[in-house]
Amino acid sequence: MENFYLKEIAHSRSGDKGNISNVCVFARDPKDYDFLKSFLTVERVKKHFENIVKGEIIRYEVDSLKGMNFVMYEALGGGATLSLRLDTLGKSMGSALMRIEINKKEYEDYRKGVKK
Amino acid sequence: MSEKEVVIGGGQGFWGDSPDAAIDMIKHGNLDYMSCDFLAELTMSIMQRQKNKNPKAGYARDFINILREVGKEAFEKNIKIISNAGGVNVEEAVNQIKNVAEENSLRGYKIGYVLGDNLLEQLPKLMDEGYEFINSDDGRKLSEIKDSILNANVYFGKEPIIACLQRGANVVVTGRAADSALFLAPLMHEFGWDNNDYDNIARGIMVGHLLECGGQASGGNYDYDWRGIPNMDQLGFPIAKVTENQTFITKTNTSGGRVTEQTLKEQILYEVHDPANYITPDIVADISNVEVSEFSKDCVEIKNIKGKKRPENLKLSIGYHAGYKVETYLCYAWPDAYEKAQYAADIIIKKMKRKNLKAEDIRIDFLGLNALHLDVANMDKNLVRNMNEVVMRIAIRTLSKDEAKKIIPEIAPLQLNGPPGSSFFGGRSAVQDVIGLWPTFIPRNMVNLTSNILEVK
Repeated sequence: MENFYLKEIAHSRSGDKGNISNVCVFARDPKDYDFLKSFLTVERVKKHFENIVKGEIIRYEVDSLKGMNFVMYEALGGGATLSLRLDTLGKSMGSALMRIEINKKEYEDYRKGVKK
Repeated sequence: MSEKEVVIGGGQGFWGDSPDAAIDMIKHGNLDYMSCDFLAELTMSIMQRQKNKNPKAGYARDFINILREVGKEAFEKNIKIISNAGGVNVEEAVNQIKNVAEENSLRGYKIGYVLGDNLLEQLPKLMDEGYEFINSDDGRKLSEIKDSILNANVYFGKEPIIACLQRGANVVVTGRAADSALFLAPLMHEFGWDNNDYDNIARGIMVGHLLECGGQASGGNYDYDWRGIPNMDQLGFPIAKVTENQTFITKTNTSGGRVTEQTLKEQILYEVHDPANYITPDIVADISNVEVSEFSKDCVEIKNIKGKKRPENLKLSIGYHAGYKVETYLCYAWPDAYEKAQYAADIIIKKMKRKNLKAEDIRIDFLGLNALHLDVANMDKNLVRNMNEVVMRIAIRTLSKDEAKKIIPEIAPLQLNGPPGSSFFGGRSAVQDVIGLWPTFIPRNMVNLTSNILEVK
């Protein structure tokens, strides 16, 4: 079955505080927000970033913005200057999250109300 | 009589930002205030290092250049300019602003400035008195790194800036004022909000949060629809129009960019952790129910921001020497660019082992493939095999400068001595200082901030 990238239905921005990266994610279409909440769980994000984020991940929901904020600890290889990564500030963590693939049928079923 | 409105622009997003939008908004923004944030987490440490080499450095010279361009016009239009451009050398920034004012014969120009956030000299005494300055990330005591401390600056809030404005300052320059305090202070000064008016204080802080990164609120770094942003070459920066009851974010119509629901949504959670508890020296803001809605083209209303009591302690950010690092690059072309780049990295690692490199950390990436998205990058075999070019990057971190230097001369020779078809670019790498950040807290009453005015005759 066909998959598509999260970026098709969501947009994001990422920032840093020390070794903590935060990625905020918003539904492009407000109608997709419920699906995003059920799909983009902490477990799924943890698995996606398993070799990149070493610490805890917390998800905050902001329903009024149709968005969520993922706060990821020990996520930037040491933080600003200690990190040897090219992107020490994690500006591309947002787009890295947008690579998560969504199963098209699962998405369409959810939209039709066939919730599991 | 119409309701009082205060118009305040965000003129800079960081130290090194373009001055164009600041100049545009002074000319065309009908501003009452322009606030310019120059300081990110590491900036104070970098400025302190500059000051150690040159006692007249250590502030954001770019701010002086902006004043040279539009300081006179701002003075004539009575636009007050507020900035934390003073960095670790507020006094020298004041001298330079005074020079600009004198060059332009701005008689009666009042320069407000705030001193007291720089605790570098007091730190040893405070430690002797028993303050441990526990690292809030890992619980260590500051005494562990006391010989490597580079800078120590307190994030402070609105009060000393308001005091400068009350005394008629045309420009206010500070050290480590919290970014958003640069915006809250003029709003509190204008509206006379009480210290217990938590919701309005939080609203002022969030105006600051939305404006302090400049173009990020008006179409820059915009994931939602970057192609739809007109004239990014003259991107306007955000401007807030604030009344007693309403908050609008907009921009000048002489600039490029857009202010939309989505440009502001992406910025409002930027570098926020818990949206219900966004901690600043002035307030704990609650944006967990914030509403962002388009009012008219390039004008967005922000509603439903709440505030909670401010924290007891102030954040003290200490920078310290934490070793050295070197980043090196070498570019390979098709065919088999990735394979060749990997082979080259392997050669360097073998050489470094033979030369007994003592590194704290070594990292190998391949630009074009996985240097940004790391382990989640697409490494599909066909894609990888057909890469037109790949840049090998090796970065090392060491404790001594001499260790760091070992890798530098080894890269360029691979053009002749390694796999075929590589191109060395950018010149030999330089050793960079690594600065560690030590986040900690200090009781408010230990910090003595002063507000001062220098009037240009």
